[in-house]
Amino acid sequence: METLSLYVDRDSPVHRVDPISKLLYILAATAIPIILPSLLTAAVVLAISVALLLLGRIFRRVIPLISVIVFVLLTILIIQGLFRAGNVTPLFQLGSLIFYREGLLYAVRISLRVINIMLAFAILILTTKPSDLFETLVRKGLSPRIGYVLSSVLQIIPQMQNTVGTITDAQRSRGMETEGSLAVRLRAFIPLIGPVVMSSLTQTRERSIALEVRGFSAKGKKSFLNEEIQEPYHRFIRWGLLLSIILALVWRVAA
Amino acid sequence: MKKIIVDNLKYRYPSAQELALKGISLEIEKGQFIGVIGPNGAGKSTLCQALVGLVPHFYHGAYGGSVVVDGLEVLKSEISALALKVGLVFQNPFTQVTGAKLTVYDEVAFGLENMGLDRAEMIERIDRALTLLDIYRYKDRNPFDLSGGQMQRLAIASIIAMKPQIIVLDEPTSQLDPQGSEEVFKAVDKLKSEGMTLVMVEHKIEKIAEYADKVALLSGGELVDFDRPIRVFSRPDLERYGVAAPVYTRICRDLKIKDEKTGLYPITLEGAVAAVGSLE
Repeated sequence: METLSLYVDRDSPVHRVDPISKLLYILAATAIPIILPSLLTAAVVLAISVALLLLGRIFRRVIPLISVIVFVLLTILIIQGLFRAGNVTPLFQLGSLIFYREGLLYAVRISLRVINIMLAFAILILTTKPSDLFETLVRKGLSPRIGYVLSSVLQIIPQMQNTVGTITDAQRSRGMETEGSLAVRLRAFIPLIGPVVMSSLTQTRERSIALEVRGFSAKGKKSFLNEEIQEPYHRFIRWGLLLSIILALVWRVAA
Repeated sequence: MKKIIVDNLKYRYPSAQELALKGISLEIEKGQFIGVIGPNGAGKSTLCQALVGLVPHFYHGAYGGSVVVDGLEVLKSEISALALKVGLVFQNPFTQVTGAKLTVYDEVAFGLENMGLDRAEMIERIDRALTLLDIYRYKDRNPFDLSGGQMQRLAIASIIAMKPQIIVLDEPTSQLDPQGSEEVFKAVDKLKSEGMTLVMVEHKIEKIAEYADKVALLSGGELVDFDRPIRVFSRPDLERYGVAAPVYTRICRDLKIKDEKTGLYPITLEGAVAAVGSLE
C-alpha cells in the first residue's frame, strides 16, 4: 500500500526512542545554534545529528533530501560572500568576483542552521511511524480531529491519486488525448477537475458518515489500543535536551 | 421484544421539495432479519440513515414522527450514543475505511478507541470480530490492500466490535463481484445465527428471500408492505413497484406450481424443489 510516509522500517536504538523526545531534539537542534551562534555549536549539533542518522541506519535516505536544498544553500553562499553589507576582508577571488570572509562566514552559519533543522526533522520523520507520532500527540492533548486529519492524509492522498488515474484512463478510453505536448496535457487536465472534485467530495462525505457511526464525535475520553511505551531512558533524554537548551540560554546571558 | 419502533416517520432533505419518507410505521423484533426492497428513490437508504440517527442529525432537513432504537429516541439522542446500539454498513467498502490506520487490526480498534474502552476489552472484541468475519489472517495488512469483499467484511467487523444490538446494511454488496458478495452474505448469515437484529437493503432478491424473516417493500417514500417474504413476493402487483420476484418464484408462477401448505409460489430454491417434488 502506497502512503506519503517517509518512515524507514529498521530496528535501531533511534527508532525505539519516543516521538516526544525526537520532537524535543528538533527544538534543541534548532534553538541551540541560534542561542549560541558560533560555528562550533552548529558543527557539534551537526555531528550529533549525523551520528544519530548513522545509528538509525538511515543516513543514505537523507542524502536526496539534502541535495534538494544544496542549490538554495549555494545561492546563499554566493550572494552573501559577494554582496553582504559589512564585507571588508577579501578571502579569495574568482575572475573579477571577490568573495569576502564576513559574508561567507555568515552564509556558512545560516547553511549549517538550515541543515541542522533538516537533519533533525529527518531523524523524526524517517524513524517514527506517522501513526505513532500522531497518536502520541493526541495522548498529549492534540485534538483527535486534527490527529485524524494528519494521519489520514498520508494514506488518502495516494488513494485520490489512484482515483485521478482511473478517471484519466476512463477519459482516454473514450478517445481523449491525455499525453503529448504541454498544451495537450493542459487541455486534458480541465475535464479531469470536475469528476475528481465530485468523487472526492462524495468520498469525503461517505467517510465522514463512516466515522460518525464509529463514534468519532463521542464526547467521552478516548482510549488507545497501543500501549504508551515509557522507557526510563526516554525521560532522561527529554530532560537532557531541555537542560541543554536552558544551559545554552544561561551561557548566552552570562557571556 | 421490540428493538426498533418507527412511528409515522416523515422526512425531507434540506434541498429537496418532496418528502423522502412519507409516514412510515413499522416495528422490528429482537433477532429478526428484515429485508428492505424497492426501486431507486423509494427511500430505502433514507430509512436506514433514520435508524442510525444520520437522519436528521447529520443531514438535517424536516423531520416528523419518531424512531425508537432499543429504547433510545433517535431525535433526542446523539449519533455517538446511537452508534452503541445500532451500526451501519453501506455500499462503498473503500470509504468505510478510516484511512488513519495502517493495519486491519488497528482499523477495527478505531471505534473502540472512540468509545474509550480499556485495552484488554478492545483486544478481546477485535479478535472476536475478525474471527467471526473470517479475516483474522489479514490482521496485519493495510486495509487498502484488501479486496472489495474483504474490505466490506472489515467494515462489518469494525461495526460488530462495537457490539451494537442492531446492524443496518445498506446495499453492502452492490459494488462487489459475485465472490465478494458471497463472502458478505456468509458473514451476514453468521450474524443472523448469533441472534443479531439485522436490517438489510439489497437488490439481490433471491438472497433476501433466503435470509429475511420479514420484508419491507418501499415505493416513493411509502411503506407498501411489511410481511413475511413469501407474502410480499407473492404480490401480483410486485413488478409495478419496480421489484422482480425471485427467479424461483417466477419459474414456479410460469409453471403454475404452488407450495402445498401455503398455497403461494415458492421463493427459494429449496421451496421450489419441494413444491416440484410434491407434484410427483
